[in-house]
Amino acid sequence: MADSSEGEEEGKLSGGNQQLAVDEELREMAKKAAWSVSSCKPGNGVASIRDDNLDSYWQSDGAQPHLVNIQFQKKVRLQLVVLYVDFKLDESYTPSKISIRAGDGFHNLKEIKAVELVKPTGWVYISLSGTDPRETFVNTFMLQIAILSNHLNGRDTHVRQIKVYGPRPNPIPRQPFQFTSNEFITYSILR
Amino acid sequence: MEAILTDCVRNSLQHLIYRNAIFMCERLCAEFPSEKNMQLLASCYLQNNQAHCAYHILKGTHMAQSRYLFALSCFQMDLLNEAEAALSPNESCPEVPNGAAGHYLLGLVYRYTDRRQSAINHFNQALSLDPLLWAAYEELCVLGAAEEAPKVFDEGASLCIQKQYIHQGSTSQSFQAQNEEHEISMNRSLGSEDVSPRKQKHIHGHNLRDVSGNHHGTISNQPLNGGPTTSLPFYNTPSPMAAQSQLSGVAPPPLCRNALPNGPSTRTYGADSTPRVTVNTAIPGPRRKFVDEGKLRKVSERLFSDSGQRRSMRLAGESVNTSSSTSIISGNLISHSSKYLGGCKSGMLSSRSLTIRKGQSWASENADEGGHQEICDESRLNISNSSSSPCGGNGSVEPEGAIRSSGALSSSKVIGGASDVLSLLRLLGEGFRLSCLCRCQDALNIYMKLPQKHYNTGWVLSQVGRAYFELVDYLEANRAFSLARIASPYSLEGMDIYSTVLYHLKEDMKLSYLAQELISTDRLAPQSWCAMGNCYSLQKDHETALKNFQRSVQLNSRFAYAHTLCGHEYVALEDFENGIKSYQTALRIDSRHYNAWYGLGMVYLRQEKFEFSEHHFRMASQINPLSSVIMSYLGTALHALKRNNEALEMMERAVLADKKNPLPLYQKANILVSMENLDGALGVLEELKEYAPCESSVYALMGSIYKRRNMYDKAMLHFGLALDLKPSATDVAAIKAAIEKLHVPDEIEDICESSD
Repeated sequence: MADSSEGEEEGKLSGGNQQLAVDEELREMAKKAAWSVSSCKPGNGVASIRDDNLDSYWQSDGAQPHLVNIQFQKKVRLQLVVLYVDFKLDESYTPSKISIRAGDGFHNLKEIKAVELVKPTGWVYISLSGTDPRETFVNTFMLQIAILSNHLNGRDTHVRQIKVYGPRPNPIPRQPFQFTSNEFITYSILR
Repeated sequence: MEAILTDCVRNSLQHLIYRNAIFMCERLCAEFPSEKNMQLLASCYLQNNQAHCAYHILKGTHMAQSRYLFALSCFQMDLLNEAEAALSPNESCPEVPNGAAGHYLLGLVYRYTDRRQSAINHFNQALSLDPLLWAAYEELCVLGAAEEAPKVFDEGASLCIQKQYIHQGSTSQSFQAQNEEHEISMNRSLGSEDVSPRKQKHIHGHNLRDVSGNHHGTISNQPLNGGPTTSLPFYNTPSPMAAQSQLSGVAPPPLCRNALPNGPSTRTYGADSTPRVTVNTAIPGPRRKFVDEGKLRKVSERLFSDSGQRRSMRLAGESVNTSSSTSIISGNLISHSSKYLGGCKSGMLSSRSLTIRKGQSWASENADEGGHQEICDESRLNISNSSSSPCGGNGSVEPEGAIRSSGALSSSKVIGGASDVLSLLRLLGEGFRLSCLCRCQDALNIYMKLPQKHYNTGWVLSQVGRAYFELVDYLEANRAFSLARIASPYSLEGMDIYSTVLYHLKEDMKLSYLAQELISTDRLAPQSWCAMGNCYSLQKDHETALKNFQRSVQLNSRFAYAHTLCGHEYVALEDFENGIKSYQTALRIDSRHYNAWYGLGMVYLRQEKFEFSEHHFRMASQINPLSSVIMSYLGTALHALKRNNEALEMMERAVLADKKNPLPLYQKANILVSMENLDGALGVLEELKEYAPCESSVYALMGSIYKRRNMYDKAMLHFGLALDLKPSATDVAAIKAAIEKLHVPDEIEDICESSD
C-alpha cells in the first residue's frame, strides 16, 4: 500500500507499477462477487476488467460518473483496491478522479476514499484503510468504484483491470489471534 | 514353427523389445490360434502397458490363466465389475484363478469397490496360500485389519513355504545332477535342463511381482514365461517346466539364446540378471514407447529406476525375497563367494552382490571386448542401485537361489531360509502394521530391531520418516527422509510426505529443490506433483498449488493423499464445497486416511457446523488416537458446542499426549477465559510464555485478560509485547483498537471474538 505507488500526496496518485505486487497477508476477494458497470460499449464489457488480460479494457458508453459495482455474497473485509490503467494508450480515456464508496447496497453507499490519478501507467494501488487502527479494513457488502472524470476532460473511460484485496482469514478457525511463532504454527495444522 | 515363434516372443520380451514381441506373437497366434498363444499375446500387450489390447484378446476366454490376465487388464482399465466377474469362482471353475495372485487381485477389486470385509477375506486367503505375498499383508495393514505380523509369518507360514520348495525340488529332481555339476558353469553354458526349473521359478517370481505391481494400477507386469504355460491353479506347478523342457528339445531355451548376441561374457549376465531387468522394466507405462533396439539399454536403465519409484509399496516384500536368497545361496556358493568378495560398497545385499559379482567376474574372464564388460558393469550398477533399496525385481534372485537349493540342498536349508525370511517379514510387517494403526513410536521401536542393511533401505527409512511425521516430529522425519533420499534417490516412496514435512518446516529452498528433482526423476508420478504443489502452497500461491495437486490426482486417481491436499488448497481458497468433495473422495479411497477426516472437521469448524466438526474430529481421533493435534481440535469443537468440561478434559489429554505441543495449553486458556476463570487462564499462559516466548497471540490474550481485570498497566505491557512480535495486520488493528479503548471495558469482547 505505502510502497505501492509513487508520489502519493493528498489523494493524488501518479505513476503506477508494471508488476502487481501485493502483501502476502492479502488475497483477492472479488472472484465470487457480482460485478456490474453503469454502461459499456459492446465488446468492452464488464468481463474485460476481470479477465487478467491487460490488452482488453472496459469502455463506458454513457454519462459520467461511470460506475463499477462489486456486490459480495456476504459481508467482507476489504483493504485494498488495485486498478490497471494506461495513460500512454488510453490518453483522454484514462480516469483521473475516482471515488470509492461502500455500503450494504445501492441505497446507502458512502464515499470512503477519493483519489486523483495523475497520468498513471500500470497498477495503481488505492488503500481503503483509514487513519484509526480500527479502520484498517472496510467491512461491507458492496463496493462501488466511481470514475468522476477523465484526463484531458475525456468523456468515456477505459479501465483494464480491477482487483480487490482483503486480509486472509485466520488459517485456524475459532481463534482470537493468528499464531506467529514456529512452535505454534507447526502444531496448529495437520496436512 | 510354433516353438520357434514362442521362443522368439519370449526372447523379445526378455530383452524388452515389446514391439517385436507383439509382432511375432501376432504371427504365432495367426498360425496357431490356441488360447495359450493368446495368453502370450495378451501378456505382451500388458507388459507394453496396453491393457485394453489384452482386454479384447482375452474377453470371453475360460482358462484360469486367461481369466487372471483378463481380470488384470480390466483392473488396469478400471473395469472393476468385469475384473470381479472374471476372478470370481463360477460353475466351470470353482476356484479363484492363479492362486494367491488371483486372490490378491480380487481383494484389490473388492477394496476399491468398497467391500472391506470381502477384500480382507481375499487378502487373507492370498497370504495363507503364499506367505511371502507381502503386498497382500500391506493391503491388510492399510485396511487396518492385519493380524499381528508374528502370527501371520509364523511356523505355519514357514511350513507352507517349505512345502512349495520341496514340491519344486521333487519336480526338478532330474536336473539336480547337472545343477550340481555345473555350479559355476551353469550360467556360462546353460543347458536346457538348467533353464527349465529356473524358468519355472521365474514364473513364480513374476507372479508374485505382477500382482504386487498392480497395486498401483499403472503397472502391467505379466508372468513373462508363465503366461502361456501356467494354466494351473497354483503357480509353481510342474507343467510350465515340462513345457519348457519339451521346447528345449526343439530350440535352445530362451535364456540361453538371449545371451548369444552378446557373446559369451554377457551370457552369464543374461542368465542371471535379465529376468531382473525384465521385471523391472515391465512396470512403467507410457515411456515404453521410447524403447527401440538401439536405445534399449539406456531405456531399460531409465525404466529400471522408474520401477523403484512406482512400486514403492512392495519394497519390503522384495527385501524379504532377497534375504531368502541370501541364506540359501550362501549355502550353495560359499566356495565361490570367497573368491569374489571384494570391498562391498554401500549396503549391497550379499546375495545380490554375489550373483552379480559372479557375472562380472566371468565377464572379465571371458570378455575380450570392452563393450561387454561395460554392459555388465552397467547392469551391475543398476542392480546395486536396486539393491540399496529393495525394489525392482530382486525377487528373481530368490527363485534362482531357491531352485538351486531346492535341488541341491537338503530340506533343512529350506527350513532355515524360510525362517530367516519370515523373521525379517515379522519385523517389517509388525512395523508397518503398527504405523498403519498410528502407533508410531511402537513402529519405530520395531524398525530399530531390523538389521542395519535393511534399515538403511529406501522403504524402511521412508517408513521411519512417515512415522516421525505422524508423531509431528518434523525434524526427525526430515532426517529420516533425507537418508532415504540418499539410500534410493530414484525412489518416490513417501516423497509426498517428505514434501509435506519440508512444508511444515518452511524449508522452501529444500522443498523446491526436492520438487524439481522428483519431477525430473518421474514426472508421471503423483508424488512428484504433490511435492510441487506443496512448494506453491508454501508460497501462498494456492491456485497453482491446487493445479499441481489436481495433476497428481489425474495421474493416479487412487492416490488418497493427493485428494486430501487438493482439499486443503480448496479450503485455503475458501472454496469449502469443493474442499469437502476432495476430502470425501480421499476417504472413499482410504477410509483410514485420517488427514481427510481432520480436513473435514476443520471445514465444518470454520463453517460453524460444530456437531459435524466434532464428529469428524472424533473419527480422525479414532484412527489416530495418539495425535495431540487432533485431540486439541476435538476439544476446540467441543468448546464451540459449549461443552466446556469435556473440552477441558480433551485438552488435558492432548497436553499429556504430546508435551511439545503448545496448542492444547493455549486452547485451555481460551476455554478458561470463556468460563470466566481468568486466573486459571493467566496461569496457563504464563506457563506457555516460557515455552514459546515469541508467540504474539499468547501476549495478546494475556493483555486482553489483564484488561478485563482492569490491570491496565499489565494489559498495556502485554499488548505492546504482542505488537512487537509482528502479528498479522488484522491482529495489529485489533490490538491497537484495544489499547485505545483500554479504559472502556466493553470493547474487550470484540477482541476475543473478532476471530475471523
